[in-house]
Amino acid sequence: MSKSDGTSTLETAVLRSRPHSAWYGGAVGYAASSALVALATLLCDQARPYLSPVNMVMGYLLVVVLAALFLGRRPALLSALLGVLAFDFFFVPPRLSFQIADKEYLVTFLALFTVGLVISSLVAKARESLDALRVRERQTASLYRLSRDLAAATDTASLAKAAVANLEDSLGGQVALILGPEEELALAAASQGFTMVPETLLVAQWCLRSRRLAGAGTDSYGSDRLTYVPLKALAETHGVLALGLEEHDVGLDVELQRLLNTYATQIAMALERLRLLRQAQETRILKERENLERALLNSISHDLRTPLTAITGALSAVLEEGDKLNTASRDELLQTAREEAARLNRFVGNLLDMTRLQAGVLQLKKEPCDVQDLIGTALATVEPRLAGIAVSVRLAPELPLVSLDFVLMLQVLVNLLDNALKHAVAGGELEIAARVVGERLEIGVADRGPGVPEADLARIFEKFYRTPVPEVVGGTGLGLSICRGIVEAHGGSIRAERREGKGLRIVVEVPLGIAAEGIADEG
Amino acid sequence: MKGEEQKTNLPRVLVIDDEVAIQRFLKTALDTGDYSVHLADSAHAGLAAAVGVRPDVILLDLGLPDLDGVEVIRRVREWSQVPIIVISVREREDEKVQALDAGADDYLTKPFGIGELLARIKVVLRRSLQQAPEPVFEAGELRVDLPHRRVTVRGEEVQLTPTEYELLRMLVTHAGKVLTHSQILRQIWGVAYLEQPHVLRVNISNLRRKIESDASRPRHILTEAGVGYRLKSE
Repeated sequence: MSKSDGTSTLETAVLRSRPHSAWYGGAVGYAASSALVALATLLCDQARPYLSPVNMVMGYLLVVVLAALFLGRRPALLSALLGVLAFDFFFVPPRLSFQIADKEYLVTFLALFTVGLVISSLVAKARESLDALRVRERQTASLYRLSRDLAAATDTASLAKAAVANLEDSLGGQVALILGPEEELALAAASQGFTMVPETLLVAQWCLRSRRLAGAGTDSYGSDRLTYVPLKALAETHGVLALGLEEHDVGLDVELQRLLNTYATQIAMALERLRLLRQAQETRILKERENLERALLNSISHDLRTPLTAITGALSAVLEEGDKLNTASRDELLQTAREEAARLNRFVGNLLDMTRLQAGVLQLKKEPCDVQDLIGTALATVEPRLAGIAVSVRLAPELPLVSLDFVLMLQVLVNLLDNALKHAVAGGELEIAARVVGERLEIGVADRGPGVPEADLARIFEKFYRTPVPEVVGGTGLGLSICRGIVEAHGGSIRAERREGKGLRIVVEVPLGIAAEGIADEG
Repeated sequence: MKGEEQKTNLPRVLVIDDEVAIQRFLKTALDTGDYSVHLADSAHAGLAAAVGVRPDVILLDLGLPDLDGVEVIRRVREWSQVPIIVISVREREDEKVQALDAGADDYLTKPFGIGELLARIKVVLRRSLQQAPEPVFEAGELRVDLPHRRVTVRGEEVQLTPTEYELLRMLVTHAGKVLTHSQILRQIWGVAYLEQPHVLRVNISNLRRKIESDASRPRHILTEAGVGYRLKSE
């Protein structure tokens, strides 16, 4: 959105003016060329004793060349005509009269006039093409600035602002960008002091609908003070560019129309680019969500059906084949059914937690918590599944109370323990450690299972990630992502690391919070 | 709703639950000779049955269609001290606390096993039958002698601060029953401390260090997450 080139008012005027600018035309040009002829006459008069009249013609030719160079075609023609007359009047004998004594001078007059005509037309043509070149160069520069600023814009609002700033700079006058489909056209950005009146909206709507120029200097709504340019992209029209040009009484010439359309196309393409970008993003999000939903459905159907199958099977076996079964196998079947029901219950709990986390309805009820109590309660919860596995708890002395949602953090620890238990073999061991690091509480849960490949360490907290281990381990792939959700809601972080030797350690870090008072004796 | 066996001497259990499957499961599991079971499928039917059946214990599901379960507890408590065991789900800790503070005696989290249910019923029945609490509480290696204010673990006397002793005494007199944070704070420290949960956490932690053999794996004072504490009675 820079306009650092320091474009002066003069240049901006040249930018959109016809090459034969009003600046040099008009009375000033004619007066200047007359003055030049007068000056030449004076000088020639001074040189009269030394020069023959024929050579004075050179002075007038010089005037014609100068006029053509600096004043344009018509002043040059005037200077040629005036030159002939002045030469005749002042220097051709008889002097101070238009009468000609020697008819040969007629040839001199004709030559002077013809040479003046040719020179002025040649020089003027060269100057015109130079002017046109300069204008085009400035237009190109301003278009370049516009496209550069538009390309930098990442959203519609900043794009509109950049476009307005640029056009203001290049064209002078007020600029407004009105965007949207026809029914909901609205001002996106405008020059300072621009006010949107109902008529403006009306003309803008017409312009959008017809995809044609409208307003001042055009055939449609010519009485409006603004000129409207549709922002046409390939398929649709994104809006309207409204401009307060100075010369709105005269019709817009082809050159200016072309320029305005080029600006409009640039802006429209930029808007189109943003729209496509947005669409692509939306598509990607949609696709990701679809993938997630598919994974969720797969997981749900698998994790609900597996225990249900086991339960149904066990119960129907007991019901229908009960007589043939001995007590031991009967108990075995019923035991299976009960364990599978417990697993189903845990899965449903996880599913509910996940839903609550995703819906953002999770409200933390933080209270001062005893970390030892938290760990003890988590261990008591998984107690029935601990069979044959040793657990060592290492707590740093003098742990303070930590501000946590006890129930949710308990869920985190239970999930971490469940996860560790899945990979533990009978006779294995788990390790839980808690300590304070700086202003944070750190709890680590470590197992001696097969661990996770280094590359997957960060991925295990993603939804539905399952470690590449045999199917027997089961699990929903939800537990750890729930942990992450809860820990992050506490302003903490969770990470996984490989243990020396073998196994995986998951480390939870949460801020101590304001409850960080010593747990030293009291009362 | 009234069972024919109302005149027998078996303890009467009133089940207030609108789920047919739960009714069927409870009826079958409890109706084995130790209890007479009465069913009500709505709060209003339950309140009527509480008057008609005069149950010894009420099993109340909090998710009833016609009336909030906590309101049922309040209405029963207006005229009766019959033990009420609430049945709730894990995600509703608030609901459990509300029910307990409204006068429920205990709660069970769905899903639950019959063993758990029978144990809870036994605890509340025993307490409602006995007039005064047992003077001496014993569980495993822990022994609390209330008349002598003596606490021993494996025969060795434990020195408790006055607050810790009061806390333990409250747990012992309600052994087996869950006590909510606010119930404990109110009784031991007074209403002014209701918003100061950390004094409770600190004292429970200290108490555990003195009476539990491993404070990280407590066997006596159990934490009911988001609700309160329970002293294990057996």
